[in-house]
Amino acid sequence: MLVDLPGGWNPLLGRLAWSQIPYDNPILAPLFVAVVLGGIAIVALITYYGKWGYLWKEWLTTVDHKKLGVMYIIIGLVMLFRGFVDGMMIRTQQAWAVGPDSSGVFGALHGYLTPFHYGQVYTAHGLIMILLAATPLLVGFMNIIVPIQIGARDMAYPYLNALGLWITAAGAALIMASLFIGNFAHNGWFGYAPIFEIQYSPGVGVDYWMWTLQLLALGTTLGGINLLVTIIKMRAPGMTWFRLPIFVWASLSANIIALTSFPALQVALGLVAADRYLGAHFFTAGLGGNLMLYTNLFWIWGHPEVYFVILPAFGMMSEIFPVFSEKPLFGYITMVLASFAIAGVSWLVWLHHFFTMGAGPDVNSFFSVATMLVGIPTGVKVFNWAFTMYRGRLTFTAAMLWALGALFLLLIGGLTGMMLAIPAINYMVHNSVFVIAHFHSMLLVIVYAVFGSVIFWFPKVFGFKLDEFWAKTMFWLFTGGTVLVFVPMYMLGFMGMTRRLDYVFNTNWHPYLLVMEGGIVVYTLSVFAFFVLLYVSIRDRVKNRVGADAWGTSRSLEWLTHSPVPFYNFAVTPHVNARDEAAWRRANGIAAVQPAKYVDIHMPNNTPVALYIGALTFVLGFALTWRIWWLCLASLVAIIVLMIVRSYRGDPGYIVTAAELERMEREAIARERQVDGSAGEPVVGGAPAVGRPAMAYERSDLPKTSTPPSMGPGAHH
Amino acid sequence: MSQAHHGHQGGHGHADPILHPEVQMSSGRGYFSGFLISTLLMLIATFLVSSHAAPPFGLLLVITVCAGISIIAQIYFLLHIDISEHNIWNTVSLVAFIPLFVLTIGLTWWMFSQLYLRTMPPMPGMH
Repeated sequence: MLVDLPGGWNPLLGRLAWSQIPYDNPILAPLFVAVVLGGIAIVALITYYGKWGYLWKEWLTTVDHKKLGVMYIIIGLVMLFRGFVDGMMIRTQQAWAVGPDSSGVFGALHGYLTPFHYGQVYTAHGLIMILLAATPLLVGFMNIIVPIQIGARDMAYPYLNALGLWITAAGAALIMASLFIGNFAHNGWFGYAPIFEIQYSPGVGVDYWMWTLQLLALGTTLGGINLLVTIIKMRAPGMTWFRLPIFVWASLSANIIALTSFPALQVALGLVAADRYLGAHFFTAGLGGNLMLYTNLFWIWGHPEVYFVILPAFGMMSEIFPVFSEKPLFGYITMVLASFAIAGVSWLVWLHHFFTMGAGPDVNSFFSVATMLVGIPTGVKVFNWAFTMYRGRLTFTAAMLWALGALFLLLIGGLTGMMLAIPAINYMVHNSVFVIAHFHSMLLVIVYAVFGSVIFWFPKVFGFKLDEFWAKTMFWLFTGGTVLVFVPMYMLGFMGMTRRLDYVFNTNWHPYLLVMEGGIVVYTLSVFAFFVLLYVSIRDRVKNRVGADAWGTSRSLEWLTHSPVPFYNFAVTPHVNARDEAAWRRANGIAAVQPAKYVDIHMPNNTPVALYIGALTFVLGFALTWRIWWLCLASLVAIIVLMIVRSYRGDPGYIVTAAELERMEREAIARERQVDGSAGEPVVGGAPAVGRPAMAYERSDLPKTSTPPSMGPGAHH
Repeated sequence: MSQAHHGHQGGHGHADPILHPEVQMSSGRGYFSGFLISTLLMLIATFLVSSHAAPPFGLLLVITVCAGISIIAQIYFLLHIDISEHNIWNTVSLVAFIPLFVLTIGLTWWMFSQLYLRTMPPMPGMH
């Protein structure tokens, strides 16, 4: 042992001991029983229906970007739920533990959570919501949508894609393990020096926090590399830079940020690990360490990270508004420039997370002005969306409602962000719940955009629409919850209530806290509405089945292929003629034209290696957390050996022959015609009746023409 | 771009990892030189610091130069990155990386020098 550890350590189990299992905790023990029973039930059900083979072949070993994306989204939704439960616990504690007369149970003086437990709850809430809910949800959508939108068969590196997913899943498993084995960090999701140092946090909580973050950073970096290469290298013929769907641009800018900023987080956490494991002094108060250097390094990553999560959400909104306004996106070029301006400025603003450090007026003014600059490109985006809707034929579907909700929240979050960018105001509300309300408004923009996208792209992925009534019910309940929780929070922030209070001393704040608790109840109802939404939609799936163009007014390339998207995405790689290819083909009457001739296509094989490596990274993280050195070494060696073996073996892939492809296409087209009768003739000779000269090059018998597309670049304004 | 796409669909000639230029550039001698140079520079830097061979500012300069040389040696000998045509994407990444590096290190230096000006007692080697 290089550092002194309280409590026992033995070579076999490290710090692991029976006393680390919280079986006497009145909240965790029943939860553990419920989780175990639930797990047994799921395993029993899968076994009963004989689905293990299906699960293994179709999901666990898949390299299909759509299935990986769906699994990312499932992880994101499950962790969103866990994060929501944490939020509910925080709100309940604060509504309960107000004033000296409030009662206390379960060993807490006030409320039901002891301060140590409460600290873990808010730390887990923050970490989970940012890195295990928002990030996997957005990465999942980028994974599914980007390759289809650019006309690719899969991501550039399908195996790397699976690896990114399973490492992210390992991170999720590690933070869930901390619930029942040991404890979690109590230092806030971003960590404070020096409280996370071994002297002040001798338990394993900080180690769980640190290795979870490391795993998630690794998984997200791998995903980011993959998306960047896919967008740069895998575009279909004709998909020039300025015909890219706007969501692809958003993904590109976001992943540039991810790729450049995540290393800063990994370095910061690596140095924390050096402090905690090797006895170094990077972030200690003495011996040459510097506390604020940690905060600095963390936010060098942390601020770009928040734009990494907001930019894809902006991209989603930019896809949803035009479809339900029946107009092309207003100001495409400025939208692209705005995304990259936001990405660029994201590197110049990190000090605004610690204005009160005391770096002086020059530094604070610089970062204040840089922060306010973000308002310019964001404003451009807001006005572009408004002008997209202006004089459009608006249909207020559930997806559109969620996107509009995101727009309003962006306005609230953005304007309060402008206030916080002023150092004088920042000094006043620093560490108050005003800041919390601000960044929740911003993160809710993401949640709204994500739910909008779930409804918007669900029919593309699964072939049937979600139930509109329940989707709208969920929207209004969720919005009610948002208003009831966050309006009082802004007010309490102005009254000076600080964040992370496990005991609220001021009884005047009680009414507001009770309103927020009511808001949480409304939020809970919206969660139930979501479950009902899924149940009703799956029950009525035959009735809700859709053709290729699920909304009838869709614009970008992904709406040309079948719904659900076949595993090869497009039978023949499409030739792209216009920025809004689906809308352009519809306008030219060739939306339903099918290819005349199929050729063999080359697809990647499934592999279980990614799953094995993901599982081993979990073991490695767990062993590092508990300091089981032999297990660290064993899992690390196993990971390296697996990687070498896989590299030597490679993947020759397999061929889908033209005949097989034709058969599958015929089936898909027949299915689609039953739904809406819109799909055209499969594989027949002679040109179909096309009103205007068309440029669907994947069909050679159509007349080729050099006529510029009617809706090419520049024709939008 | 469309060529890359064709390549993906068709021949797969680039799929053989041995044919990657980075692999072609690698040699036992290159790896050994990279290892030797960076180890030597690290030892020199460690020795200079542990023996307090120069005043703090001078030490800082010397070890910075050592670190710089060893980074370049590692990039060239171990990662096989140069500025030739087949490394165009690495060059692009480098060009994108330099402003970010300058910004983060430069702004950090600025904010912490301003902070120390206001909060720290004068330390040896600081002005």
